[in-house]
Formats: sequence, structure tokens, C-alpha cells
Amino acid sequence: MSERAATADRTEATDHLVAQTQAEEPALAADLLVEEVSIDGMCGVY
Amino acid sequence: MSTETLPRAGFDLDRPWRLHPKVSVRPERFGALLYHFGTRRLSFLKSPALLTVVRSLVDAPSAREACRSAGVTEAELPAYAAALETLASSQMICARVSS
Repeated sequence: MSERAATADRTEATDHLVAQTQAEEPALAADLLVEEVSIDGMCGVY
Repeated sequence: MSTETLPRAGFDLDRPWRLHPKVSVRPERFGALLYHFGTRRLSFLKSPALLTVVRSLVDAPSAREACRSAGVTEAELPAYAAALETLASSQMICARVSS
């Protein structure tokens, strides 16, 4: 799979995660600057 | 004993770093989303300043200098060093050989 195709495939999953992150933002600890997520196994991600 | 806050020892702020070539960056309101095409992992940068740091790593002589040019203060440096250590451990950034 090309990287461009992979980008399209992950759009829905990542958009959901981004929306979730934006919603959680006020509750974040000030020193938590990075959060890591694996997308393996998510629906729609190849 | 000194009360000075020191960055975590696990990340070398004084060497040059760069964004991994297989990582794409998508700016977001909260900072940015990084995606590594090799490891298929995502990292959320929850600070626009951290995005500035990550983007400037490639041109900076050291991570410390990238932080400084992004406006990171000495008090904030340990948190940013920890964030960069996390990004290094997940291969989002990698050490750069000085030319």
C-alpha cells in the first residue's frame, strides 16, 4: 500500500482521535505534552 | 544541594535531532498529530510550541537550541526534554549526525 493510500485509510480513525483529544484538552495536566496511540487493530486501518 | 531543575537524563538535549523521515505531521488546534508510517503509531503533540520545536530540530544544532528558539523557558525545559525523549523512544524523532 502506498503512503498516500494509508493516509486516506486512517483519516476517519485519526479524525475521531483528534476530536477526542480536543474535547479532553482542558483536563490535561500541564506537563503532559505528548500522548501516544497505536492504530493497529482499529476499524478501517489497514 | 542545588534546587535547580534539570532535564531528564534520558534525552540528550545537546545533540542534533530530526523528525524521522517516515513521520508525517498534521497541525491541529491543540498542537499536532504525528503519524509514523513504519511503526503505525500516532503521537499527539499537545502544545503548539512543541510542534515548533519538532519542526525546527532539523535546522538546529541541538534540541536545546531548538527549544530555546521556540521560546521554551528554562523552567519549561524539563517537560519538553521529557516529551522529546518520548518521541525519540517511539522513533518519531531520531538523532542526526552533525555535518
